Amino acid sequence: MKMIRNRFGNLSRVSAQLQRHVQQMSTNAAAAPEEGAVINEFRTAVTNPGEHSALQVAKFYTIPAEQKKQIFAGGGLPKQYEQQIKTFTEACLMVRNPALELLQYIKATDLTKPVVRYVLYGENGTGKTLSMAHVLHYGALNDFLLVHVPWAPNWMKRPKEASNAAGQEGMIDLPFDAAAWLVHFKAQNSQLLQRLQLKTSKEYVWSKRESTPAGSSLIELVEHGIARIKYASETTAALIAELKQLSTAGQCKVMVAIDGFNAFFHPVTRIFSDNKQLVTPDRITLTQPFLDITNYDWTNGVCILSVDKIAMTEGHMDSHMPRYLLGQEGFEHLDPFVPVLVENYTDKEFHSYINYYLDRHWINKTPQGFEEQLKFMSNKNPYSLMQLVRAL
Amino acid sequence: MSFLSIIAGKTSKYSSLRLMSVYPTQYVEPIVQKDKQNEQKTELSKLYHVPIKAAVNKSSDTVFHDDTKEKMINYITKKGNSALARTLLSKTFELIKRTQTEHMNLAKGEKNAINTNAETLLKQAVENCRPLLQVTAIKRGGVTYQVPVPITTRRSYFLAMKWLLDAAREKERKVSLPEKLAWEILDAAHGQGRVVKRKDDLHRQCESNRAYAHYRWS
Amino acid sequence: MALRVFGLNIVRSNRNLLKNAHKLSAPPSGYMAVAPFASEVTVQAAPAAVQKQKVSKAMRAYLKRANEHDEFMKTQHLEFQIGKRHLANMMGANAETFTQEDIDEAISYLFPSGLYDKKARPALKSPDVVFPARKAAEFDETGRPFHSMFYTGKPNFFQLLHDIVEETNKLADLEERLLRRGNKPDENQKLEMAGFQLLPKDQLELFLVESIADIEYSNFTKSMERLIASPYAYKSKSFIERFLKPLMDQSKQLEVPKPKIDEEGRQYITTYECLRKTARADVTVRFPGTGKISINGKDILYFEDENCKEQLLFPLQFSELLGKVDVEANVEGGGPSGQAGAIRWGIAMSLRSFVDQEMIESMRLAGLLTRDYRRRERKKFGQEGARRKYTWKKR
Repeated sequence: MKMIRNRFGNLSRVSAQLQRHVQQMSTNAAAAPEEGAVINEFRTAVTNPGEHSALQVAKFYTIPAEQKKQIFAGGGLPKQYEQQIKTFTEACLMVRNPALELLQYIKATDLTKPVVRYVLYGENGTGKTLSMAHVLHYGALNDFLLVHVPWAPNWMKRPKEASNAAGQEGMIDLPFDAAAWLVHFKAQNSQLLQRLQLKTSKEYVWSKRESTPAGSSLIELVEHGIARIKYASETTAALIAELKQLSTAGQCKVMVAIDGFNAFFHPVTRIFSDNKQLVTPDRITLTQPFLDITNYDWTNGVCILSVDKIAMTEGHMDSHMPRYLLGQEGFEHLDPFVPVLVENYTDKEFHSYINYYLDRHWINKTPQGFEEQLKFMSNKNPYSLMQLVRAL
Repeated sequence: MSFLSIIAGKTSKYSSLRLMSVYPTQYVEPIVQKDKQNEQKTELSKLYHVPIKAAVNKSSDTVFHDDTKEKMINYITKKGNSALARTLLSKTFELIKRTQTEHMNLAKGEKNAINTNAETLLKQAVENCRPLLQVTAIKRGGVTYQVPVPITTRRSYFLAMKWLLDAAREKERKVSLPEKLAWEILDAAHGQGRVVKRKDDLHRQCESNRAYAHYRWS
Repeated sequence: MALRVFGLNIVRSNRNLLKNAHKLSAPPSGYMAVAPFASEVTVQAAPAAVQKQKVSKAMRAYLKRANEHDEFMKTQHLEFQIGKRHLANMMGANAETFTQEDIDEAISYLFPSGLYDKKARPALKSPDVVFPARKAAEFDETGRPFHSMFYTGKPNFFQLLHDIVEETNKLADLEERLLRRGNKPDENQKLEMAGFQLLPKDQLELFLVESIADIEYSNFTKSMERLIASPYAYKSKSFIERFLKPLMDQSKQLEVPKPKIDEEGRQYITTYECLRKTARADVTVRFPGTGKISINGKDILYFEDENCKEQLLFPLQFSELLGKVDVEANVEGGGPSGQAGAIRWGIAMSLRSFVDQEMIESMRLAGLLTRDYRRRERKKFGQEGARRKYTWKKR
């Protein structure tokens, strides 16, 4: 295995318009044919997820920097992965089978039928969030409106502030979190919203003096939520109801992506109510809209959820299976759904990832047989591999 | 030194005085690394009849193991929590690698010259901080002199690593140990920083106290 | 301790055995057990002329003591023999061919004991083993010592030192003579010291029937080493060999178990009772495999510590069988580190069957094949832990 310095492979510079089924390198410098061959071993130049197929399994594709900023500014990629992106100066995702499967299903869906829910599940650290990110990228490039909750347990465990809801009795608001989510939504979808010119269908009265009239654009609704943090949660609810209506009416396609969905069905959250008691998720205003949108009573959209052992861990989670993590309520809510299993790396994917690390100078100590040892120690689990390779 | 340890030191390998160990005295330390075994092939044939102690559970011959790393982990360990020490050191290495790769990506000219191998950087840092002499306090005639005295290699390595850790632990509360230690190691590997200064100070002190060197033998 | 069966006064009822007692007692085995300097204390038959001389009180007391000891040893021997015959009778074995091992077996069967201290359990051993050897009469009735070095207080020891020096001088002379003739020492006959060490102090004391100080023992060691280091040491081989002790039992190393075949036709080896601290494991290694590992049904991520996982990797990587064997382990007890150590030893011992002799030796030198018997050291009173003392305060 040659460890050739990749002096010109910064594929992030390749703009999205150059995507073709071409296996050639960028035009920066004259590439020797053998170097091109090595780079292509674990990379692919196809940056549109819509064109990924079984050919590209175990290969890395780069997400262009602007798109990455647009889609993932508010979260969506794990923290350590973000650090890795910063160090390697490129956002590379590996094309893997679960994501490809999902993309296949999505491409083949009949959007006039009620929404299909896909649930990603698997052991810790196998790549559920990143598969979701892959699908999100596809959605962003294919005119889907993204309703993306990067990590639902953040709302349950560490809300910036929890206050009593103004409108509804006994419910708890998470103003800052809702506002942050609205900002994220705006960043992801601003272009699409402007292009589609979506309008609200009814009037929303926030208080005596404030209201949003019917027929105002969704962008205004979102901006209202961001500006008036007090009403941010209600705005979210309103927004999502509107989106459901609009998509059923056929005006837009909606892709719902929620990571850590089982947090909404956990017996408790870590938020205290006024009388110092732990609150259940259904008493939080933010859960309602997202539970709503994951129903199958609307069309023209697709729902991708993931359930995770580490989503809420009060009481160590014994199994990674969806039925166990969702509980009775959650399972009934989501039933029927399509489960998608995310597993550890295959040999090919593992080898590809090691090559990538070597290429990026992340692994420096390479005696003979180190790959075998890493394979043994990590059991080809992506997260373990990342941890083990830290010190090499 | 106790009487027994004097004898133990002076008796050869043919005799067997009991030392404070579960193993009987005939047992010999294992040679864990395969390359070290290959180096000493001729001497190893003598060990054919000699029983060998069990390998410690911290040493191994894998890609994850390195002697300097192991020593460093032992020095970072507090209250026996070596698992935590190991994670801290791997985080340190991660930070070192990140800094170095960033430099490499930003560097316009020679990219190959920048070393991203955290282990070799650590070794280099330790080498750069190793003192060659040390000072001991020797009391003669009511006055305590700081006398320069030779130092064994082992102790010099120990002092180098200890100084690195001391420098890393003098920090504000918010800065974590891996971060600070990474900075110190990088500095020392390039010959700058507090630890190298400390070594230089020691050398200067030894140089200035040369006159007292004879006090070693009074 | 001679076994008193049924509280009988055995001497009276078994007088005819008294004569045979001596011949029947099994000769003690091993070159160490016989203390050549000790023998039965006998009273020398003095010529009639000397008998008239007055024997001093001290001499008389000494003789009396010596006699008593003699008698005592004779009775002990007798009792031992009788006890042995009774035991053989009880076990239904032939009394003539009843060895010491049979005696031990019989007693542990007939008188099982749950006592922790092995020395406190019932046993029947020859009186020579039980009672420490005493020296023969060191001086005659006139009070004149037999040994020329008697007045050193440790005649046997100093005689030994003198012998060593004599041998050394002999060898030195021999070397000089041969050098003058232009001969060199024969390299092929050189003494093989690799697997031997000198007698430890306690065994030397047994050998000499005298107690020695540490300095004296170190003197002995130094002189012996000097003797051994001489190039013609092989000429005094018989003299030196008396004081050498083998370091290690090689036979166990070479008994590598043969792999069995399971239903799928794969070779496999199971090592049971892999112990480390309090963990107990049994490990199965199957030969044509893909590098899978399962511990109590889970994969290697059963251990969360990186160190523990590395320990499992170590023997496989060392013997270069990393992706070629499958490992299954069941482990219980202890903590993660102890369990990992137990499984590591199990893997290493099982891998011996799939690897050649050179690699086995290599693994042994790396310390993989030694059972790690270290246990937690107990806390002592007056100290805070096993070694840590309380903070010393000046006042």
